[in-house]
Amino acid sequence: MVSVLPYLSAVWATMKRDALIFVSYRMRVLSQIVAMLFSLTIFYYVGKLVPRGTVGPHDEYFAFAVVGIVTTAVLTSALGSAQIVRMELMQGNFERILISPLGPVWGVIAVAAFPIAYSTVFAGAMLALASLAFGVPLHVGGIAPALGVGVLGALSLACLGLFFVAALIAFKSALGAAWVIAALSLLGGAYFPLRLFPGWIRWTSDVQPYTPTVDLLRHLLIGTRPAEAIWLELLKLVGFTAVLMPLSVGVLWSAVRVSRRRGTIMEF
Amino acid sequence: MAAPSAGPLVRFEGIWRHWGRGKGRWPVLRGVDLDVPAGTVTGIGGRNGAGKTTLLRIATAILSPDAGTVTVDGIPSTASWREYHRRIGFLSAGDRGLYARFSVAGHLDYCARIAFVPRSERPRAVEEAMRHFDLTALAKRRADRLSQGQRQRLRLALTVVHRPRVLLLDEPRNSLDDEGLAMLSAAIDDVLARQGAVIWCSPAGEAQPVDFDQRFVIEDGVLRPGL
Repeated sequence: MVSVLPYLSAVWATMKRDALIFVSYRMRVLSQIVAMLFSLTIFYYVGKLVPRGTVGPHDEYFAFAVVGIVTTAVLTSALGSAQIVRMELMQGNFERILISPLGPVWGVIAVAAFPIAYSTVFAGAMLALASLAFGVPLHVGGIAPALGVGVLGALSLACLGLFFVAALIAFKSALGAAWVIAALSLLGGAYFPLRLFPGWIRWTSDVQPYTPTVDLLRHLLIGTRPAEAIWLELLKLVGFTAVLMPLSVGVLWSAVRVSRRRGTIMEF
Repeated sequence: MAAPSAGPLVRFEGIWRHWGRGKGRWPVLRGVDLDVPAGTVTGIGGRNGAGKTTLLRIATAILSPDAGTVTVDGIPSTASWREYHRRIGFLSAGDRGLYARFSVAGHLDYCARIAFVPRSERPRAVEEAMRHFDLTALAKRRADRLSQGQRQRLRLALTVVHRPRVLLLDEPRNSLDDEGLAMLSAAIDDVLARQGAVIWCSPAGEAQPVDFDQRFVIEDGVLRPGL
């Protein structure tokens, strides 16, 4: 049986590589913190326009929106994997991963890992800042389970990202990632409660992993009432991950096979 | 790890490859057969666009042939990705494939890890690759602060850091001075000493700094003796 450890070690090495390259741009982190502060400030004041109790019995709109924003940040980096792979292709670096024992599928997972991990950590930092500087009442007891939900959610969203990488490898285009991010955050209720949607479109909230992720995180972190039973939302999230993971890997392998046959795997 | 095969270390059998689609489709390789025994260097020349890079990319398995098979150490390129690619080191033509803001030592350690070099052997592998290509003093320097020749030496070091049995070199002379060529020559000797094999592709007319055991040229998609 082939050990998975060398693959995980290679993914970790790729994350370390990307982290070192990331911190070599010293102003990048600072500018992101500044952007985060602006974003929080805007929603803090927008939140003052929304009457208490509008988005739940206990809390304010600002806390509701902040959880939506941080979950969307993770969603954006997960679905942005194709862009990362495209950059690797353009720089001629993806070839080195392709011809290594790591191979194309693990290679894609490896290059996507750091942005997703970073955005997850950044999301945590944003929540902490929202709590410390803007007084969002985070439930301390909910932080540990929220971490678990966050990782599971990031994993299922990362699987969605693999479909876009597959499209990029097969068709040299991953157009649509931007509108899928917008659509998922809109239909998943990033900025307002799902009950505001007309009934005919609400089903779209139930067929993707973003909705249970953000809903569970809100419940655990700020105590909003979940749209469905917690066990059901958790089951949905686990189910999405369990279905999407093999499916996305399979689709990615097919895309690699097609582009090897066409001779376009190194094109961008 | 699979046991080494008794036949040639690298075998191309009936390789056909077309480029383009529909009426614009043309054959770039037409039934290429080639055996590369262990302990030998094979030189392949040809005009620009003759199909040298295509042949090497087929050997790396990032390009599928329309027909035919490639085996390395008896392992078909379509079989275990991991075992097949542990055995090969590929240097692509040009000067790409480096991370601008990543150090020389960082590159080598990273490539050793994605090549599954065991942890206990990794520091020595990185150190040896740096020593082979005189990069030790540049270990902490970023790739974008290297000269073209130094970059090519780093690219070569990345190709051999996992001690592959088969070296696939596409126009490896790029930007190398005499010293760099001598380092490349020594790296090739090291592969041959381990009963490995080297395939060296270069454009027609380029002076060759190593002795080839076999020489071929690709003309009209067919491999002919010569170079």
